[in-house]
Amino acid sequence: MADALHTLSAAELGRRLAAGTLTSRTLCEALLARYQAVNDKVGAFTHLDQADVLAQADASDARRQAGQGRGPLEGIPVAIKDNIAVKGQPLTCSSKMLAPLVSPYDSHVAERLRAAGAILYGRLNMDEFAMGSSTENSALRKTFNPWDLARIPGGSSGGSAAALAAGLVPLSLGSDTGGSIRQPASHCGVVGLKPTYGLISRFGLVAFASSLDQIGPMARSVEDCELLLNALASADARDMTCFGPSDRALTPAGDPRKFRIGIPKGFLGKGVAPEVAAAVNAAVEFYRAQGCAISEVELPSADLAVPTYYVVATAEASSNLGRYDGVRYGHRSSVAGTPVEMMTASRSEGFGPEVKRRILLGTFVLSAGYADAYYVRALRARAKIRAEYLVALAGVDVLLTPTVPTPAFKVGEKASDPLQLYLEDIFTIPANLAGLPAISVPCGKSGHLPVGFHLVGAPLSEAKLLAAGRLFEAAHGYAHQQAAL
Amino acid sequence: MAEGFDIDHLAKLARLSLTAEEKALYSAQLGQILGHFQALADADLPATIDDARVVDEAALRSDEPGPVLGAEAVTRVAPASRDGQISVPRVVDDES
Repeated sequence: MADALHTLSAAELGRRLAAGTLTSRTLCEALLARYQAVNDKVGAFTHLDQADVLAQADASDARRQAGQGRGPLEGIPVAIKDNIAVKGQPLTCSSKMLAPLVSPYDSHVAERLRAAGAILYGRLNMDEFAMGSSTENSALRKTFNPWDLARIPGGSSGGSAAALAAGLVPLSLGSDTGGSIRQPASHCGVVGLKPTYGLISRFGLVAFASSLDQIGPMARSVEDCELLLNALASADARDMTCFGPSDRALTPAGDPRKFRIGIPKGFLGKGVAPEVAAAVNAAVEFYRAQGCAISEVELPSADLAVPTYYVVATAEASSNLGRYDGVRYGHRSSVAGTPVEMMTASRSEGFGPEVKRRILLGTFVLSAGYADAYYVRALRARAKIRAEYLVALAGVDVLLTPTVPTPAFKVGEKASDPLQLYLEDIFTIPANLAGLPAISVPCGKSGHLPVGFHLVGAPLSEAKLLAAGRLFEAAHGYAHQQAAL
Repeated sequence: MAEGFDIDHLAKLARLSLTAEEKALYSAQLGQILGHFQALADADLPATIDDARVVDEAALRSDEPGPVLGAEAVTRVAPASRDGQISVPRVVDDES
């Protein structure tokens, strides 16, 4: 049985652990064997301390034996994107800038996972500082799509999605600034949820664009995604944008068969591949057949989302990444000279090309003489986009679109054209700009490559997104799917 | 919109040292990306920006000291330290 443990859901593993038919050590040993067999092919992990994993597993088994189990995640491994701090583990953001860093503290979500009894299971590859949509910008290693090893897994949480699709771990954490959870989830055939801005504390998440960044759960099923979300979402005074205890009540889901589903006008024509459009249209027809009311909605400023995002995100990144000066942590150049020369050399040696490109872009849109034309106009456009989404969501329960216009592309195919890569996120960006919850759910294949659909809801409507996703996955065969490796 | 784009000035502001090849590459790519941003210049936008927040009231905590990392933990991750302090290149010249 041990060789099949990597195919099971977190919920099923939890049931077996609770029933005493499985121990966390047996589970972790099976997953470590899977790691030895396939991680070099997929490249999802950048670091995994096997002795530490087994020590955590033994501690979990001892707790359970003593009747002190901590809940449904007790003994279950959760792998973590390498921009989320776990005490004693590397925190590199897949960058040469931070490659020597071992985190001296736990993020809020790591604290939550420890409190839930989960096994903090290794570090997952990503685009450097979460900047990218293919994980090709990692300075540490390549990650490949488990469904086709010649293709990208998506990004920036490419390691988080690939690890799930390869059966390396049942649950993972990603972060999402413009689609970095949902886009790789779609490309790898797994589920990824970006929560409402403020639902999950970012304390211990390395900042990229602070008005957009969110941590979120990823899994091979909607049920598992919900299990992880429930463990993560709690108030935390260390992130001032995090909802307090009295403000975080989720909207009850209700019966998803009675949902009103909005289809944004024109979204299925925007460079969407025919196979993607067909899979998403089939999902729409599924919901219609279930009794949902389908209607077309207007989002007239949708075309402004990508330029708005890339102004706001790069502006905030240029400020946030100012802290990497070679003084307090991270890479310091051996080039001698003045402090400014040392800082300039450290940054130039430590940052990769995409990070430099975004810092330069963000510096420009904030610079004297240009801030009004770019940054301030982007903030105004953001307000307009958010208002339009809230108006649309006042009339429907969820908005449904593709997650990504096309299936996973080949490694290197878009590496020299950053603008084309930025357009990968055209459907996912608005949820970040408007602070809305959104989920990607697998809904089919284009050839052998997974396709996902994308649901966006009103603030704190996560339960609706999950209910709609569960309804779909219960009737289809895409939950728990794994690539053959 | 992209008039006055000066890669040398930007690199200096961003504390980045770029090779000639990098300057040429980033100038071309940023020009292309900024061209895509033209849609923002052409759009009819609201005058206000203050409704782009999800959390309506900033949850400010009380201004009291909380747990912090100790000097040992901080200097352990610093690139260079001495006697419990982070060391940096000399900032002020000795005038004597």
